Amino acid sequence: MSPNHPAVEALGVAVAARVPVLLWGAPGTGKTSAIRAMAQAMGLPCETVIASIREPSDFAGLPIVVGDGVRFAPPAWARRLAEAGHGLLFLDELSTAPPAVQAALLRVVLERVVGDLTLPDAVAVVAAANPPEQAADGWDLSAPLANRLCHLAWQTDARSVADGLAGGWAAPVVPVLPDGWQAEEILSRGLVAAFLHVRPALACAPPSDAASAGRGWPSPRTWEMAARLMAAAGAAGTGDDARSALIMGAVGEGPGVEFLAWLVEMDLPDPEQVLADPASFRLPERGDRAYAALAAIAAAVAADPTPARWTAGWQVLGLAADAAPDVAAVAARVLARCRPDGAALPAEIHLFAPVLRNAGLLQA
Amino acid sequence: MSDRGIEGLAAARLWAATRFPYLATGVFGAQVVADRGSGTVSVDESWRMRADPELTAAWTPAQLGSVLVHHVCHLLRTHGERAQAAGVRPDEARTWVRAADAEINDDLVPAGLDLPGRPVLPRDLRAEDGLLAEQYFDGIRRAQRAPAHGAKGGREAGDQDRSAQSEGETAGAWLDCGSGADGMPRPGQQPDGRGGALPRWQAELLRRQVAQDVMAHGKQPGTVPAGLLRWAEEFLSPKVNWRVLLAAELRRAVAEVAGAVDYSYRRPSRRSAVAGQVVLPALRRPVPEVAVVCDTSGSMTADLLAMVLAEVEGLLRTLGLARQVRVLACDTAVGPAQRVNSARQVQLTGGGGTDMGAGIRAAAALRPRPAVTVVLTDGYTPWPAAAPKGMRIVVGLLGAQAPDAPPWARAVRVEPD
Repeated sequence: MSPNHPAVEALGVAVAARVPVLLWGAPGTGKTSAIRAMAQAMGLPCETVIASIREPSDFAGLPIVVGDGVRFAPPAWARRLAEAGHGLLFLDELSTAPPAVQAALLRVVLERVVGDLTLPDAVAVVAAANPPEQAADGWDLSAPLANRLCHLAWQTDARSVADGLAGGWAAPVVPVLPDGWQAEEILSRGLVAAFLHVRPALACAPPSDAASAGRGWPSPRTWEMAARLMAAAGAAGTGDDARSALIMGAVGEGPGVEFLAWLVEMDLPDPEQVLADPASFRLPERGDRAYAALAAIAAAVAADPTPARWTAGWQVLGLAADAAPDVAAVAARVLARCRPDGAALPAEIHLFAPVLRNAGLLQA
Repeated sequence: MSDRGIEGLAAARLWAATRFPYLATGVFGAQVVADRGSGTVSVDESWRMRADPELTAAWTPAQLGSVLVHHVCHLLRTHGERAQAAGVRPDEARTWVRAADAEINDDLVPAGLDLPGRPVLPRDLRAEDGLLAEQYFDGIRRAQRAPAHGAKGGREAGDQDRSAQSEGETAGAWLDCGSGADGMPRPGQQPDGRGGALPRWQAELLRRQVAQDVMAHGKQPGTVPAGLLRWAEEFLSPKVNWRVLLAAELRRAVAEVAGAVDYSYRRPSRRSAVAGQVVLPALRRPVPEVAVVCDTSGSMTADLLAMVLAEVEGLLRTLGLARQVRVLACDTAVGPAQRVNSARQVQLTGGGGTDMGAGIRAAAALRPRPAVTVVLTDGYTPWPAAAPKGMRIVVGLLGAQAPDAPPWARAVRVEPD
């Protein structure tokens, strides 16, 4: 896939932010090669561990009897990563690992603890898996393990396969996050906290059916992960599509979409504030946002039509009439229908006569 | 947002937003730019519309507004993406667009859409209203493949005929709707994220907003066309395919038994060499026995049962468990455990009453004892008060009206599709 494909970009951000990430994709779509190429491009040692052919003791440490007790010896790949001080731990074929091995992986993925050894903070954990319906003997990921990872869908399209065959596969680029990027995390945590205040039910919602258990689902841990990824995506200047893929990957698709929709809505002006001070109104650029803003203002006036609010509403529409006559005219029709007693006809009403007449909505 | 070189755009959008208030967000969300000399109004998947001002100058605001609404519907119903999924070849793009047009127009034209020319309606494709573009497309394909070559002289010929004379006469042969309708990339099209294109996730949010508007308007009966309402319902709460759910539940039930990978001292561990005198246990993985209990009472539908049973057998085969499966037929009495080779061999005996409790008890009495039992029933049955010990139950509830399964079982609703 091309390096600016949202999934590839998202993978880079997750690795840069050291958030464990899992790529879901059909066999043979280049997940493994993309991750190896990424490690090589970064000059990092990459340890590939195929989870499905390992035993739990490979991740929990092999018990060894020493003089006065038992030590849980970490395997060689863990020791190599610890010695290097940084690197990529790549857990391949995660969904074909039997449940007992998945249980042993819980601490490895989140806390980077293998046996008695703790891997350095600079080690990034990346995993790849085939959807259970495509793997020969796939298991669904257990809900606790799924909750520790950011899930990204790895889909290839014909065009990028053609490009890759012709011109070689480009390695995903891991962005270099500027120093102090964590400061932005406070901001994004604040946003998440404000959202969960509005939708408390989404703070923790374990999946109810087996099919969705193996994907991202909202919990305090994944919301924290989402906040971290959002901050990292902002610091790295990634595209919006990659950012939304990261958020949905952490907390699941439904809650992620709701959060993104809430973020967009938060940008709209507050109708009551605008009515208190019509001159401060700035029309949003995009047509649908302008429509949402003006419709909200018209609805606010209609809900409590005093002469002062009604006149203020017309002033706002007057400001918008030049840039978006059609959008403002829709709101004007709402206002015209709720004229309070004693309100004088505003001058702005004449601005909309031509467009209303052209649309055949005004009798001459 | 003003006219941008297209005369009457503002009036057209106002007409559209007033006539179809539930689509107003979509109509205003699309960016419209003038594209002189293109001879059409087209839309791409990033919500950008290009309109030829010379073409639209001849239209009334209602006609231009209708074209905008029509194109917004292409985007709402993701015809571009669906064309790719349906495997539409470039030379079939026009046929696909006719099918997609029919999907949109069948309920919007009666609702007051005033398209210039003669819009494609399902009856032009000799199909009934209310189908999906894929179904219309299949119908056209089949009609074209039909051996009667003489039929090509009919109305369908306009499909291949791009000559100017026939335009406006043949239904729908007048416009290239753009990549937003057929998924074929156009030369010179700017990539996503540039030139006012809507990023994918924002397009998704926009579609969601429109779907919510449609649902809100739909609360007053008769205001929103049924087809659009159905789209919004499907979009906001998509139906999950029962096959996926059934597969996941079965895998989970088997994984929790088979995957209870446990330590055993019957064999020494592969890792024993490092442990010196200590004997480490090895991992063992029991292979579970599976029983399928089929409700064979008269209220069951034979075809649906056969379909689900085939699905269950297929799933178990992929899990490597096909040899372990035994099938029991059950109404009030339990028939002998049948070894079936194909789902079709299960006979519906059609007794009056049903008691799945008897079936579950019979499954528990089998030797070797099944660890997982799949119960396929229409739900009109008494159930045991508690789950049987040491056995996982997955219930497939067949039919849309099936009552709920008991809380101790994992249930999947199977609706005929």
